Amino acid sequence: MNEELSKSLSDLNEDQVLNLVKKALDDGAGTMDILSACRAGMTQIGKRYESGEYYVSDLIMAGEIFKQAVQLLGGDAQKNAGGLRDKVVVGTVKGDVHDIGKDLVVGMLRANGYDVIDLGVDVPADVFIDTLEQSGARILGLSGLLTVAYDSMKDTMNRLTTKGLRTSIKVMVGGGAMTDKVREYIGADAMGADAQAAVSICDRWTTEV
Amino acid sequence: MEKETLYTERLNRIQKTISLSTVDRLPVAYAGTAFSPRYMGMSMAEFCEDGEGAVNVTLAAMDRLSGFGELDAINQPVVGRMTPRLSFAWLSRVSVPGKELPPDNLWQVVEAEMMKKDEYDTILKKGWNTYLMEFLPRVIDQDEFNTFLEWVMLNQERTLGRYKDHGYVAISDALPAIIPFEYLSGGRSMSKFFFDLYRMPDKVEAVMKQMFSETLDQIRAAVPRPGINGAWVGGWRSASAMVAPKLWDRFVWPYMLEVVEVLVEKGFTPVLHWDQDWTRDLIRLQELPAKKCILNPDGMTDLTAFKKLVGDRMAVMGDVPSALLSAGTPEDVDIYVKERVDLFQGTGLILCPGCDAPINAKPENMEAFIKAASVHGSSK
Repeated sequence: MNEELSKSLSDLNEDQVLNLVKKALDDGAGTMDILSACRAGMTQIGKRYESGEYYVSDLIMAGEIFKQAVQLLGGDAQKNAGGLRDKVVVGTVKGDVHDIGKDLVVGMLRANGYDVIDLGVDVPADVFIDTLEQSGARILGLSGLLTVAYDSMKDTMNRLTTKGLRTSIKVMVGGGAMTDKVREYIGADAMGADAQAAVSICDRWTTEV
Repeated sequence: MEKETLYTERLNRIQKTISLSTVDRLPVAYAGTAFSPRYMGMSMAEFCEDGEGAVNVTLAAMDRLSGFGELDAINQPVVGRMTPRLSFAWLSRVSVPGKELPPDNLWQVVEAEMMKKDEYDTILKKGWNTYLMEFLPRVIDQDEFNTFLEWVMLNQERTLGRYKDHGYVAISDALPAIIPFEYLSGGRSMSKFFFDLYRMPDKVEAVMKQMFSETLDQIRAAVPRPGINGAWVGGWRSASAMVAPKLWDRFVWPYMLEVVEVLVEKGFTPVLHWDQDWTRDLIRLQELPAKKCILNPDGMTDLTAFKKLVGDRMAVMGDVPSALLSAGTPEDVDIYVKERVDLFQGTGLILCPGCDAPINAKPENMEAFIKAASVHGSSK
């Protein structure tokens, strides 16, 4: 079942994925096993995206199928099943209300097992800082579509420094017009061109840690 | 030189560029809708509220930038208030500075599912334009939209004449031609629309065909005016980087191809205002009528690949990236412009900010763009 479920998800076969999850539950399979199969499917999705076979529309659809599968397992299945990876705080910065890219990153990180704290859009620097302090998360993802987001991102970086958190928090930035030159301007540690890149960056950082 | 003579000279330069003929220097076009008020000290709230003021400040910004070098044209001329146009193009609510936003913020399109899935059937039943008139009050106040339309109808020709009076060619001055994909991804919201493409492709296709036939009827009924007659063919969420090939081949390209063919037949110049990365499908541009269109990318599409694949068939307008103009330095801008000039070797390129110079483009970068375009564009 696991292999078939992973493949169905990787092939974006929505009906088949949901039927297989329902059947597995009926057959008494464990939540963690089913979740692992779904995550393996999402890993394949990521690989197919990185190889150029899949595009953003495929990632969005995959995220939707994964979300529905997790719902069938119970809303908090990811947390209850255990095995969650590191915490990551994510949000669209102050002055920008765009959430498509941010939501895609949140979905892909969750599908890859990260414990994501999604702060939504138009998030002030102080809220990012407070959340990092309260949660103990060591990775921060800042999103923004508009170029006006750059200064909000820079402001958040400055607040991290002022609070003495800069060296302990890794920061990745992403969004429509993001470039490495802009990342330098902001002073972030990494720039993700897309949601899959955000997963790769987090994988690298959590392995390093 | 008299403004009229200057205008004629600039118009000829741009027309020659579109037909890939040799030019004395590469034309330079302005694009900076939100940059203009910031550059000239007008609040965004005032810019969004006052249609005539928006035109005045755009012309003032262009005149000021002209002090740094050659400026031949404006990509999309500002004609009246901006935000009602955005609501119409995106089928979405727009948060407006001075209303929902602080007075000097940039307007923002609000991503939300304004059109429900079952309304596909309504479009099929009632037709697109009838449905649209019923839909619009959800995203913009009806009185406000009517006032906007009335202003445009009364003032459009006069306003376009003002650009000409200043010696500037208005490039995308004709009707916009937006494919159904973009309208629907705005109205349905992007994620939900993408789900529809996977879950109910036949229904979406039927709706698109209905919408598109009405769009083509409008284009066929339109009357070209003297000048470039640029018809803005927008693409942002339909970009190759966004859409899987099997979806793009079915829901994007056939519509792009046909709208371009009909526009060219009618004597318009299609301006493919393509944001995001379209590199994967650049080869398809070989199917378009040669030397009749302009590709208007934002810096994300690979122009080296473009040059190789279709450089002998089509001109480009662009593509200095927004990120560079807002976070780069004048030296960075100069290097970028020079690289573009070197790539195009003397024609087929109208130098212009990619998409639209953003509100926070640094003034010194915009001035450096005009200067670099004049210096490097003249040297080939």
